[in-house]
Amino acid sequence: MKSRLVISLGSAILLGLSWAQAEDIDAASRTAAERVAVGTCATCHGPQGHSYSPKFPVLAGQQASYLVSQLHGFKAQTRGDADALGYMWGMAAPLDDALMAGLADYYSRQTPRAGPPGDPALIARGKDIYQNGDSAQGIPPCGACHGPGAAGTAGAEGAGSFPRLAGQHVQYLMKQLRSFQTNMRNVAVMHGVAAGLQRADMQAVATYLQSLGP
Amino acid sequence: MQHSTWIRRAWIVPLLLSTAVAPPIAQAVPSFARQTGMACEACHTVFPELTHFGRLFKANGYTLDNLKQVRDIDATKQEMLSLSSLPPISAMIQISETWLNSPLPDGTGGTGHSQTSTVGFPQQLSLFYAGKVAPHVGAMVQLTYASDAGTIGIDNTDVRFANSMVLPQATSLIYGISLNNNPTLSDLWNSTPAWGFPYANSDAVVSPLAGTQIDGALAQDVAGLTAYVMWNESLYGEVGAYRSAKQGVLNPITGGAGPLDGTVSNVIDGAAPYARVAYEYQWGRSDLEVGMYGATFKLFPGGGSTAAPASLSGPVNQFKDIAEDFQYQYIADEHLFSLTGTRIHESMQLDASFAAGAVTNPKDDLTTTRLIGTYYYRRKFGGSISHFSTTGSVDTGLYPAGPAPGVITSANGSPDTRGWILEANYLPWLNTKLSLQYVTYSQFNGGNNNYDGFGRDASANGSTYLLLWLAF
Repeated sequence: MKSRLVISLGSAILLGLSWAQAEDIDAASRTAAERVAVGTCATCHGPQGHSYSPKFPVLAGQQASYLVSQLHGFKAQTRGDADALGYMWGMAAPLDDALMAGLADYYSRQTPRAGPPGDPALIARGKDIYQNGDSAQGIPPCGACHGPGAAGTAGAEGAGSFPRLAGQHVQYLMKQLRSFQTNMRNVAVMHGVAAGLQRADMQAVATYLQSLGP
Repeated sequence: MQHSTWIRRAWIVPLLLSTAVAPPIAQAVPSFARQTGMACEACHTVFPELTHFGRLFKANGYTLDNLKQVRDIDATKQEMLSLSSLPPISAMIQISETWLNSPLPDGTGGTGHSQTSTVGFPQQLSLFYAGKVAPHVGAMVQLTYASDAGTIGIDNTDVRFANSMVLPQATSLIYGISLNNNPTLSDLWNSTPAWGFPYANSDAVVSPLAGTQIDGALAQDVAGLTAYVMWNESLYGEVGAYRSAKQGVLNPITGGAGPLDGTVSNVIDGAAPYARVAYEYQWGRSDLEVGMYGATFKLFPGGGSTAAPASLSGPVNQFKDIAEDFQYQYIADEHLFSLTGTRIHESMQLDASFAAGAVTNPKDDLTTTRLIGTYYYRRKFGGSISHFSTTGSVDTGLYPAGPAPGVITSANGSPDTRGWILEANYLPWLNTKLSLQYVTYSQFNGGNNNYDGFGRDASANGSTYLLLWLAF
């Protein structure tokens, strides 16, 4: 992805995090970031950001701004869900801003792809919730922020951006939704959105999103 | 490194080295957590059982790190050194008390009996160097004081080189080499012997006579070089070979560490081939592995003396071990469940021992099976239940009756041993475990009642084991 600005967005809006400019990434930083991505991050997040294990999120094609904001959150220890503590607080601790920007740039440039298809009925229900929401349960349409194809949005300087959800693992998505519900992952916007989401509907939305390609 | 009491009396059955209940092992290495900055739960469900990520960390050579490095480069800017600023050192201590269901006869031959329980303080104390050595090179080296031996010795050791590449369709290939001292030590799953359940057990109990060679019999007495690949975090293959590397053995002529000669028991003829294949599939929170592993050991019985010479040439005893295994894991935040199992079949062709009249059959076989279910709630409270069984041919030379006072003998020459292990665990912290383990036998060395011909029943060898296990 050719992102003009890499801004801390999404959940990080509320964390008041700084941003880094993608165009500042020079060749040396890009090389250093690629080395870390291939040698370290890939252990969990897979080759070119395509994680094999559903516990770990797919990073291929993720919005660079979102990645930077999350890395800042891990380093500052403000993202407090259990996996953030268990895995990423430690891994993000030595990263500086240049390396974070480089890593975000690397993963945002990888080609995303669809995950395994799921139950068509679940996908249909998930698509309906994603596109139209469920006013009876007070759930707004997810696509309003994450985009019609769930590719996320980079946002503009000082404004919010939203992560790519298309092709993400069902298990990871469901865990994040529950983390938002319980405020383990303390993001006010998503806490409000996910508060009324029933488990079956979470499964439906996650199954739909996993099945989406680029 | 643990040696059961019966091994010290190996003159009774020189062919037998291992135990049906795996020897105590120890693997909980906080230096990995310090090196990666990740909590124990990244690599373990509850130590020492590995998660999928823990298996990848091991396959990648223990090298993943986030510590500040001491670096050096040459004139062409090639990296010459990347050394962690902190050495990956850890320690582990096990303190235990064991109650046998029935006390042992007094070793003096008198009418009394041994102490009714045994305190291990410590049962085991280990120091580890466990972590990255250099880029792509890592090691897990364990030095252990064990109360049964009363000495410090080398324990499980695994030195690795590993690297990875990206294949088409963004699939991954991890490849590496392991230098290690215990067949299956290099393996990634907890269904194989070296890292299998029970993860700790008492050294103050009566162990059965029979066990297969790959099931810990040669642990720390061999040196192996294995090469492995793991494709797309799912398909795993490994081949290698093991050669005898006995610890604490001196050549009677040179007084030095070797070469090994006929005074030494069970020396591998040349090198023993080892192979492993496994496939792991993940879905949701579940993870299933199925696989096979095996090795062929050709051993010289040895154990000779000037009065009864032996040599490291001529006929050998061949042990062909082929095993299947599986491991299912369900890992969620609150509930964690695993089911593991293995079946090891050993075909013995005992040319050397048969020629010497030490066994009654030229060929024997032995089969060990284990099935283990484990559950934990929030990685804090949990337990395991395990059924184990070892059965095989009757051979009164291999599994002899007598001498008095029995206990580690078989009245009928059968190796058959069956039983259960029940274990309850409490972990106030992820690196501290309080464990209560109960072992019960329905059959021991071929019998239930009076299995040894000296009046001892299988149930007498059951035990209750209380363990405090700290890793720091």
